[in-house]
Amino acid sequence: MFVSGVDVGSLTSKAVIMKDDRIVKSVIIKSKARPWESADEVMDMALARAGLDRKDIKNCVGTGYGRDKISFIDEAVSEIACHGRGARWLVPSVRTVIDIGGQDCKAIRLDAKGDMMKFITNDKCASGTGRFLEVMAKVMNLDLDELGEMSARSKQPVTFASACTVWAQADVIQQLNDKVPIEDIAAGVNNAMASRMAILANSIGLENDVCMTGGVAKNNGVVNALEKHLGIRIKRIRREDPQIAGAIGAALFAMEKASGGVI
Amino acid sequence: MIKELLDASTVLNNKHVIQWKKNGKKVVGYTCSYVPDEVFHAAGILPFRIRGFGAADTTIGDTYFGPFVCSLPKCMLQLAGEGKFNFLDGVIITPGCDSMRRLDECWRKAGSDVDGVIPSFFFHYGVPHKYSDYTIKWLTEETHRLIAAVEEHFKVKITDENLHRSIKLYNQSRMLLDRFEAMRTLDAPPFNGEDALAVILAGTTMPREEYNSLLEKFLSEAENSPVIKNRVRLMLVGSANDDAGLVRVMEGEKAVVVADNLCFGSRFYTDQVEESGDPVSALSKRYLGHNDCPRMYGDYKRRLDILVQKVEKAKIDGVILQNIRFCDLHGSENGLFERDLEAMGIPCMRLEREYGPLVETGRMKMRVDAFIERIHQKKAIA
Repeated sequence: MFVSGVDVGSLTSKAVIMKDDRIVKSVIIKSKARPWESADEVMDMALARAGLDRKDIKNCVGTGYGRDKISFIDEAVSEIACHGRGARWLVPSVRTVIDIGGQDCKAIRLDAKGDMMKFITNDKCASGTGRFLEVMAKVMNLDLDELGEMSARSKQPVTFASACTVWAQADVIQQLNDKVPIEDIAAGVNNAMASRMAILANSIGLENDVCMTGGVAKNNGVVNALEKHLGIRIKRIRREDPQIAGAIGAALFAMEKASGGVI
Repeated sequence: MIKELLDASTVLNNKHVIQWKKNGKKVVGYTCSYVPDEVFHAAGILPFRIRGFGAADTTIGDTYFGPFVCSLPKCMLQLAGEGKFNFLDGVIITPGCDSMRRLDECWRKAGSDVDGVIPSFFFHYGVPHKYSDYTIKWLTEETHRLIAAVEEHFKVKITDENLHRSIKLYNQSRMLLDRFEAMRTLDAPPFNGEDALAVILAGTTMPREEYNSLLEKFLSEAENSPVIKNRVRLMLVGSANDDAGLVRVMEGEKAVVVADNLCFGSRFYTDQVEESGDPVSALSKRYLGHNDCPRMYGDYKRRLDILVQKVEKAKIDGVILQNIRFCDLHGSENGLFERDLEAMGIPCMRLEREYGPLVETGRMKMRVDAFIERIHQKKAIA
């Protein structure tokens, strides 16, 4: 029995097809302006790569900002619940999930059975989100991947007075004009991001094990800085790409539903 | 839903106000639920609760207030600056909180800068922050000062007899709203939280006689309306909310708001005013004593008990504790509520928002959906 999860985010859209608790295929694409177009494209790509058709999918759950606009899903579930469920599948011992997506960040506490106990998200501000890193990387003329790697080479990370995206952007330009080494600026950006996220994560109380999901989980500079800020080890996700955690969670909810469960 | 109630809840200068003014009568606006409507009713003046509803931006408000101030008084001043409150013949400002108290100075300054922004009657009604024999005496004296000012400015006489009559009328209204509250908290209520808020808001914008009549009609219709079942039952607590659209976003298809503890909500109608004895003293006791706003000192435990009782009575599944950004009173008290209610096993969700146009509802919806899912999980385990 095939099931699927589709996560339409602000920056990227993800689709996961699962069978018997295994991932058959997953796809990540850049999101389009309209969420239903992103959902159609990413799901069709995943199906094509898996050699499947829409009618082969027993149940599909949608999540992400555009979840209510997707026509082909059977049910919509919030990304908070999906990231919690997906993270649990990726790291079975996880009790705290930190997710940094394109335009929001969340911290989710799970109980011993993996059910959501508590959660918190950022307010309407790009600070502490993937968008913050994207803006800074663009100013520095770097790829997002390069931004993460640069922290390791930094000898003296700069400190930003503000984690506000607008002010920090002005600060980055100032540092570049002052010929500060780019790896020190990059490390400062990653630190500022981690510092902002740490405040949010600490406010719900951390419990081990802690893991990170979302695209920013692939940025080692941020993950390492966050470990320092929180004073704990963050378990790295190896089983799959942490960016598809929400879509995995959605597929797991779909599996539950297809098996007669209630979401 | 009766269209007239809905219209009155969403249009400031609604048809009731227009008709009232056409008849040559006066309207006085006030900013806080601590102001006794009965005083104005007894003077033949329409009391009108001032809101910031409909403000599209705060360019005028920002000019007079600082940046770290709740957006509600900014939106009120914005509308005043745009001439949206030109139908008001008077305004009463109270120290509901520091931001609201500051509205007094900001509105006066705006009035001195631009002609027509401030009405000729502009009165600061001091309301104490504690409830005691001494403060009831204080508020009674303050209410006498208000009465004297209204009498002098509008050339009217507010007699005890008129006050008694007004108290009786408003108590009838409160009795009807008690019936409304009982229907709202039924296991299968006949109306949702969005409509409930519209009904309550309408009462702050129209003559009370007309409101009571519309309310009776609404209740009769509700008795035969289809009921709402199988939804997560929410209670809404915290900062002032006069936007039924916000409740709509929270309710969606999966939840229904069946109770609240808001000043544009159940706090508007709880508790009667004593109908015998000195009317001014009776009004002061009710308005100072009934109100469960965190502006009042040393009453946290009582406010928590009220929430717990409401949770039990209305069979609440989860409590949304929301506050407008920079609303320290509700922001800090919501933190205490969350701690104590969660410890009792009552799921809570805190939400900070801006007052004003409903934008960025996606993020809010995502949080509320996740909260509803958490409640479903809790029920499934139980």
